[in-house]
Amino acid sequence: MENKQELIHRLKEQIIKQLKLENKRPEDIGDHDPLFVDGLGLDSIDALELIVLLQQEYNIKLRSAEEGQDVFRSIDTMADYILEHSA
Amino acid sequence: MYIQSAYAVSPQGSFNELLENPAQYRGDRLTCKEPDYSKYIDPKLIRRMSRIIKMGAAAAMECLQQAKVTMPDAITTGTAYGCLADTDQFLTRMVEFKEELLSPTAFIQSTHNTVGAQIALMLKCHHYNNTYVHRGSSFEAALMDAMGLIGEEAAQTVLVGGVDEIIEKSHAILSRFDLYKKEGSTETLIGGGTKGTMAGEGAAFFLLNGNREEGSLAKLDAVQNWYKPTVPVATLIEDFLKRNRVAAGSIDLLITGNNGDARYGGQYEALQQSVFKGIPSVTYKQFCGEYPTASAFALWMAAHILGTGQVPGVEGPAPKRILIYNNYKQQYPSLYLLSAC
Repeated sequence: MENKQELIHRLKEQIIKQLKLENKRPEDIGDHDPLFVDGLGLDSIDALELIVLLQQEYNIKLRSAEEGQDVFRSIDTMADYILEHSA
Repeated sequence: MYIQSAYAVSPQGSFNELLENPAQYRGDRLTCKEPDYSKYIDPKLIRRMSRIIKMGAAAAMECLQQAKVTMPDAITTGTAYGCLADTDQFLTRMVEFKEELLSPTAFIQSTHNTVGAQIALMLKCHHYNNTYVHRGSSFEAALMDAMGLIGEEAAQTVLVGGVDEIIEKSHAILSRFDLYKKEGSTETLIGGGTKGTMAGEGAAFFLLNGNREEGSLAKLDAVQNWYKPTVPVATLIEDFLKRNRVAAGSIDLLITGNNGDARYGGQYEALQQSVFKGIPSVTYKQFCGEYPTASAFALWMAAHILGTGQVPGVEGPAPKRILIYNNYKQQYPSLYLLSAC
């Protein structure tokens, strides 16, 4: 598995592509910026897209919807979750 | 009732462009000239919208802006194909990922009513909202509903539109039915004497108002459509004119839906030699191509002809009364009667 910084960069690229954030570059997204509402401004449909992305790219299924609130807080928390749950 | 404003995202940039220098296309299809969507749609919403949703939303917003109306009493939309790009994306992923890991956005937006719903969301409009999916009479159904709402005084203003898009897959499939010319040209589409037409697409929206407002483009006197009628079309047209107490000779301009396919053009020409004899006529599918809701483009064109007094490609006095006759696939005849206001 790549190190956390490499994973964070790749995750940002994947999120930009999956969510069609066409005017964003990976460096525009802070590692600790909130993904929803005030930060990147994502919404509930984007949350579903992120669940699909985790499953498709990392073969990780969220155990519950509540878990998503913590996992999708920022890119950093997503990266931690992926590292923790990767085989 | 009146057409207070009308706007179309179409293969023509604007009505002025249509008058001065209509865009010409070669090949087997015409493609919409898309506006700068950021003028109409929040950038946060744009990223998720497919092309047809953006085209419909932009046409609707511009139409409302021109009418200076912020909240219509109802929204009705007609579309035959719906949001094809989203449907394609959703179904493709369903196959590729073996019915797992499906993108929710494409699924949500693949429904036919997405354009009408998106317009309502943008306006925060909780009023009557209906989408009609009736193949070649989808737009006519949406328009009849709008006219019914105004006629029954359930609404004063209704935003009504017709939208359809071409995507690569749908075009490839439709091309297999031998519908399109291989090397067509809009300059010679009508009367070229060869089989096939050119595919088209577009999103046209209208603000109908029960009252005449300042700047209203035209009066919409009557609309009627049929599906596979058992009586000759000439009889339907004669009955329509009689019912609306209009003599054929009082029509200043006929706009026909002849799409340049020599297999069917004779039917339009026969009517022009009988029931439409002596009425000056123009065609419109060399400007927008053939698609199930192309009659919405014809209505947009007619409204602006009456509003400006100018007919694309024709010099002469301003028409005061226009009849549109379209017959999609020779199965869905429809008539629109408009007059200057």
